[in-house]
Amino acid sequence: MSATGSVERPVGDPPQPVIEGAVVGPGHDGSAELIVTVLHPGGGRDHVTLDADAGARLMERCGASSAAELAGADWHHLLHVLG
Amino acid sequence: MDLIIRNGRIVDGTGLPAFVGDLGIEGGVIRRVGGRIEAEGARVIDATGRVVAPGFIDPHTHFDVQLLWDGQARPALEHGVTTIVPGNCSLSLAPLKAEHRRALVGMFQQIEEMPDAAFDGAFEWTWESFDGYLEALRGRLGVNVAPLVGHSVLRLWVMGEAARERAATAEELAAMQELLRQCLEAGAVGLSTSFVDVDEKLLPVPSRYAHFEELDALAAVLGEFGRVLQVVPEFYNTDITLARVDQLAELSLKHAIPTTFSPLFDSSATPDNVPRVMARVREQMARGAQVWPQVQTRPIDISFSFEQASLLFAFSPAWYMTMRLPREQKLAALRNEEHVNGLVAAVQQDGTERRWAAIRVRSVARPEDEALVGRTLGELAAERNASPARVMIDLSLDNDLKAFFLAADLGHHESDRVGPLLADPFVHIGASDGGAHIQSFSTYGDTGYLLGHYVRETGQFTLEQAIKKITADAARIWHLPNRGLLQPGYAADVTIFDPETIARGEEIPVHDMPEHGMRYVRESSGVEAVVVGGALAWSREGGYTDARTGTIAVG
Repeated sequence: MSATGSVERPVGDPPQPVIEGAVVGPGHDGSAELIVTVLHPGGGRDHVTLDADAGARLMERCGASSAAELAGADWHHLLHVLG
Repeated sequence: MDLIIRNGRIVDGTGLPAFVGDLGIEGGVIRRVGGRIEAEGARVIDATGRVVAPGFIDPHTHFDVQLLWDGQARPALEHGVTTIVPGNCSLSLAPLKAEHRRALVGMFQQIEEMPDAAFDGAFEWTWESFDGYLEALRGRLGVNVAPLVGHSVLRLWVMGEAARERAATAEELAAMQELLRQCLEAGAVGLSTSFVDVDEKLLPVPSRYAHFEELDALAAVLGEFGRVLQVVPEFYNTDITLARVDQLAELSLKHAIPTTFSPLFDSSATPDNVPRVMARVREQMARGAQVWPQVQTRPIDISFSFEQASLLFAFSPAWYMTMRLPREQKLAALRNEEHVNGLVAAVQQDGTERRWAAIRVRSVARPEDEALVGRTLGELAAERNASPARVMIDLSLDNDLKAFFLAADLGHHESDRVGPLLADPFVHIGASDGGAHIQSFSTYGDTGYLLGHYVRETGQFTLEQAIKKITADAARIWHLPNRGLLQPGYAADVTIFDPETIARGEEIPVHDMPEHGMRYVRESSGVEAVVVGGALAWSREGGYTDARTGTIAVG
């Protein structure tokens, strides 16, 4: 998978988490949501569920045209869409 | 006696085994339970072969607006629900200054999907105070109401527009405490807050700007009354939800109050979410905290059309980018044979054609396609010798993109996972969202689904356990006095149903909102009669009655 939507940061920064992947899942309000897996530098994983609006914003920010294309994207994009 | 319910199978809400007998009601109160009751002139309901249970309590609803023109909260009442808790998720209709009405309407519309007409002409805003809102309800209620006061409206009242910008000052906090105190004295069952919800512009609702100190100060006021704190935590992430569980536990222990949060639901996409949250809940409950997760009974369905770019299409670049196109370009793409061939091929390559085949046609715009509603794409594909994806595209084009489809049971549907969760003694069955999401799906009939699916079909509950969960347990969690049990001295709220047929009913669109607005409902199945405050409120033979014996069920 290609790394999309990278965010520029200074050389020498400590390792950062990265979006490992995303799948579509059910939302409490009856809409499809995006469940994003974040891989931390130490190997830990975390899930963040984005509702339809936030999910669409993340796709747009990362220039992704499918959930699979989010793999490798910078995790900071999540902070932006979660506002 | 005014009313005798004769020869029913009494499930009294305690969880103890059912027994056959009569129930005697007088003056809106249960007077006798069991045995044979004879009384001259009393109305008699024959409940032979039927279950006689306490009226069901729905702890998470958004009926705040609907109650102003429909005091029976239809169709919740006909499903056996006799007490509802509106005002969830930080939003209530009071206290509210006239100048803030428009702002609140935007927030409500985002959650409830209720048309403008519901706010503009269906009722008269006669109140600003919480007491004034309750006064507007009194005399029109066919169900009992235990209303929450919303944290967002408390902030709006005290802080004005700054409520949507910053934390409160010490003076503002003191004013909010006093305002909350007045609401609780008037009859609020507690306070609701949200860390997630947004308004119609997708901006955070005011409660999200509060610091923890603010919640702590308001919880202190709840502690003076022993009332409930309801919270929508950041359920999009398990670790943050765990932190909120810990926070709620601290508030519960410090102020001796019950707290409850929702939603919590099972999903194969995040299989460890529920086990981790429940482990933390058990840990905190073992300390003596009251942190009740609300779990819904119904599975999660997803409704969509081609008019909007549902994330459901994000499995494929071809599909998602097509759905993201402006309307005219989208129509052109869907009329292009080569492009459509590519879309159909994408589904085949994804290996999900079988799942597409299970999708149902939910609604159509063209009258000649009405007969297709309820049928699966697989059935139609077989008839047309085409793929399910092709059928969906054709149907969408035929209906000018206004055909809606339903992908059912996409989450919270695996009985072997959800059944034990619902039966967990630390789970509060609720989160129905009654009265909300009205144009997306039906939020009624969850109790019928519990009793039909999880009691009768899968046997994961006994009838007595399930009834206890949605009556006595709910009344205890919410501190609702004299409700939730069939015992002498308790309020005469009674639901009579056939355990062999009770179900949630088929989901249907109706146009019974103000100005003929549409919503999805489910008509009850298997419920025979519902008694509220000692009066027959609904029966299968006679439908809704004129009884307005519902009350504010607090204190």
